[in-house]
Amino acid sequence: MTSANLLLIAVLLPLVGVVAIALAAPYAKAAARWIALGTTLLTFGAVIAVVVNYLQQGGEELTFTAEWFSTRQVAINFSLGLDGLGLWLFALSSLLMITAVLVSWEAIRDREPLFYGMLLLLTSGCLGVFTAQDIMLFYVFFEFTLIPLFFLIGIWGSEDRRYAAIKFFLFTLAGSVLTFLGLIALVIAHGRQVGVYTFSIPELTTGLSAIHLPITMQVWIFLALFAGFSIKVPLFPLHTWLPLAHVQAPTAGSVILAGLLLKIGGYGFLRFSIPMLPDATAMLAPYVLWLAVIGIVYGALVALAQSDMKKLIAYSSVSHLGFCLLGLFALNPIGVQGGALQMINHGISTGGLFAVIGMLYERYHTREIKSLGGLARKLPVLSFFMVVFTMSSIGLPGTNGFAGEFLVLLGMFQRGYAGGIDAGLDWQLMLISVIALSGVVLGAWYMLQLVQNVFFGPLKEPSHEGHGEEHSDAGTHEIADASWREIAALAPLCVFVLWIGLYPKFFLDPMAPATNAARSAAAQSWDAVHSTEIVQTPEQLGEK
Amino acid sequence: VFVDSRVLEFILPEIILIIFATWIFVGGAFYRNRPWWTGLSIAAYGLAMIVLAKQYIKLEDFFGAGQADTLGPFAIDALGHGVRWLAVAVGVVFTLMQSGPDRSKLSSERQGLVMLLVVGMMLVAGASELVTLFLGLELVSIPTYALLFLGRNDRANAEATGKYFFLSIFSSAILLYGFSFLYGIAGSTSLVDIHNVIAASGNDSAPTGFMTLAPIAAILIIAGLGFKIAAAPFHFYAPDVYQGASNANAGLLAVAPKVAGIVVLARLAAYAMPGDFTFGWQIILVLAMVTMTFGNVCALWQTNLRRLMAYSSIAHAGYMLIGLAVAIAGDAGSSGGVAAMILYLTTYSFASLATFAALAYLGEPGKDIDELDQIAGLGRAHSVPAAVIAISMFSLAGIPPLAGFWGKFALFDSTLGIVSESSGATSNWFLALAIVGAINAAIGAAYYLRVIGTMFFRPQTVAAPGRGGRGVYAAMAISAVLVAFIGLAPGGLSKFTQLAEKTASKVFHERDTTEPIRVSQTK
Repeated sequence: MTSANLLLIAVLLPLVGVVAIALAAPYAKAAARWIALGTTLLTFGAVIAVVVNYLQQGGEELTFTAEWFSTRQVAINFSLGLDGLGLWLFALSSLLMITAVLVSWEAIRDREPLFYGMLLLLTSGCLGVFTAQDIMLFYVFFEFTLIPLFFLIGIWGSEDRRYAAIKFFLFTLAGSVLTFLGLIALVIAHGRQVGVYTFSIPELTTGLSAIHLPITMQVWIFLALFAGFSIKVPLFPLHTWLPLAHVQAPTAGSVILAGLLLKIGGYGFLRFSIPMLPDATAMLAPYVLWLAVIGIVYGALVALAQSDMKKLIAYSSVSHLGFCLLGLFALNPIGVQGGALQMINHGISTGGLFAVIGMLYERYHTREIKSLGGLARKLPVLSFFMVVFTMSSIGLPGTNGFAGEFLVLLGMFQRGYAGGIDAGLDWQLMLISVIALSGVVLGAWYMLQLVQNVFFGPLKEPSHEGHGEEHSDAGTHEIADASWREIAALAPLCVFVLWIGLYPKFFLDPMAPATNAARSAAAQSWDAVHSTEIVQTPEQLGEK
Repeated sequence: VFVDSRVLEFILPEIILIIFATWIFVGGAFYRNRPWWTGLSIAAYGLAMIVLAKQYIKLEDFFGAGQADTLGPFAIDALGHGVRWLAVAVGVVFTLMQSGPDRSKLSSERQGLVMLLVVGMMLVAGASELVTLFLGLELVSIPTYALLFLGRNDRANAEATGKYFFLSIFSSAILLYGFSFLYGIAGSTSLVDIHNVIAASGNDSAPTGFMTLAPIAAILIIAGLGFKIAAAPFHFYAPDVYQGASNANAGLLAVAPKVAGIVVLARLAAYAMPGDFTFGWQIILVLAMVTMTFGNVCALWQTNLRRLMAYSSIAHAGYMLIGLAVAIAGDAGSSGGVAAMILYLTTYSFASLATFAALAYLGEPGKDIDELDQIAGLGRAHSVPAAVIAISMFSLAGIPPLAGFWGKFALFDSTLGIVSESSGATSNWFLALAIVGAINAAIGAAYYLRVIGTMFFRPQTVAAPGRGGRGVYAAMAISAVLVAFIGLAPGGLSKFTQLAEKTASKVFHERDTTEPIRVSQTK
């Protein structure tokens, strides 16, 4: 079996699980979760095989291609492939799905087959997004992920779930329809300029980073793509859907939303905007950097003020994803690598944090920080995991968070203090770097405060009166520490926290060629646009 | 020669259906057995499909080479052929939808009327001559009046029927008036002749003589057909009529006139009257923007399901007009506009039919599902109809990987094609159209999601009876499977719509074969 076929199998395997669940549902309701677990494990196996194969071959792209839809010029292909940009996000997708199934094991009792079916559909969608090699196939997976998450939030969420589900869907869709236009425009513009119509992402990347589209066209397309990707990230003024969706979603939904779906935004920038629209990227990068840094500080400050644990983590996501974008739009090798690595890190640590908080919620039916305290005494194992993920989240050296944040900040400072650019922008970039640094401090503050209040100090548990009608007998149950199932859900994430933290090279090296290639054209035109030495207007640049 | 054996051979599927319809009308008076007449109708459609398939086998290479021809009053092209298939396919679904139990005991009459209506759609699809076109359109309209009247027995239904009847007659008159101008200009009812006369006059200099009437003809035709497809500003009847009709009939109204209207618009506005007046695409473009925005925005507040679907169907008419605007502004044979329109029409038809069939299934004889609240909690109580409605809603909202997405993709692709190929005002207008279309996709999603949210996120308030019968169940299942199938494997359909666009323009251009093609000739 060639590895390209294995890739296809990995992406489609979850769908087989969906069919199996649908067939088994009328006979055995409890079977759904076992089938889901089996499918995610199998998928993980297939993904690992693909990744190992990829690493052994030294980064040669694996692709599977079949014709799918014919447009008036050329066919859209169902084309899957793996390269450095998608590699680790692809692997992370399959890993987090196992966690998602395990954290739902006891929590989901209502309409289980539908729940696990949706979870598996989401798995397929995420795996597909990060491996799509055709621009429309990417979009299909990109939008498709909305459907299962819409149901996950809307059916199994908390009190305000209907509003949250619809807001989440519409917010994301509103941006992504413009992205849709932008992606089509990329294809057509490329076709007009080069004379070859193609929907293939690698061909478009090479084509568009070699010939520069006229700058006004680049800016328009950049803005169209930005509409969808920045909502997905989410970037500062467009983040309002995220805390709501996170708080209302069931634990598995939060884990996947934070761990994977938000990454699609950053991935989109890295995959499309930066390499395909280098001049517009260079021109608009300062604005994006500002938004990112505002998001870092704003998210951190709002997180400080939260009394709900889930909301706190949700706002911390806004802050952390600001770091990712900061790295990506620093446009130098270190920054972009850091940004890409930070996306993985955030997926692991925030996924883990949401999972732990979900486990606490299952035990105490509250997410209020005030009503909990000193849990380390009672739940030592769970507290251990919480502390590990917190350290990862605040970037303690030795954990993955440090590797990512350090690279991002290094990249940003390099960009800021490189000099040779016009004075106004120069001090702006320095300011951005310094403010971003303060985000790290704030991050440590709110996370440590959370851990201190909830896990240390005198033991405080909510009184059981009035907590959930369906769990009225909760008072009679002894609160137990993490079960084997829960340990199995969290331990793999912990391994990666330390692995990436201690030996980031293993993860950075396979990505490096791809991330470098993605940003090089934009970095060149950054020098051209913002440099004081060569005076060149954007219009001249477009005519090249 | 108007009637020769080859013409009869060409319209053999239509003839078969007419014969069966007559049989059903006459026989139904003596023998009232619902399943029998339904089965017979399905068999008739099956027979028509076999004949169509035979024609296709003979014509496959001919179409594949991008060829087309005329035969008497008909055009032999992939556009007509494809839409005839579509007509038969939706005919099967209509028949199944009308097969539910009813107290009036008039099901054989209904099946006969549906069959006539399908013949009307097929004639329209193939016609390349004004009188035949009009005949086909009336054959769609007149059975619709009767069917609407047979729907339910209450005042709302009577009002809806009356409203539709009078407005439809009015629109037919306007359309016919437009046709008469065309005849006056060309001195012929053949679309090819009309095309040649208009093309010969040129469209750059000031028109002279009868040619000054061409814009008037175009406006009247657009107005008349705008009614059929429920495009603004001729859409006002739709919400009231849908609301008053039964669910099965509303499904029919949402699809049959639209298929007919869109095909005629493509034939007349995009192919037969090339640039006959300078503001052609501008009018269609503005109509498209207004129609889809109006439909989507009004749908946001609806609580009656059929009213909501009526506004949704208005919005989709607006989307289809995008394709028409593109086809008129660009090259109708290669801009992708007509192909997108036909693709969109197909995906829209099946998604709408699936929705209405599911609603019809959920009701019981004499008691339709009307309000959004009535389907609350459906996801748990009736999971299959709920899933069907959800699939249709996602498809209508254009979310991949369902059929509607590809329709939207094709439309936007062709629109942005025009943006890049033209310059100045044209380019800007089409860019605006694409952006308005994209924003509308998001607005539209709001009410489609509301329907899904009501079904899956809310607890049940009233129990839906779910006594529509097996036929209706089959209708919704077939439609939903098609929506999903086209979404996952759109390749064949997309290729065929490209071919339809190319060959349809060939009908009006110099053809390679001098000998008229015989459909019966061997390969």
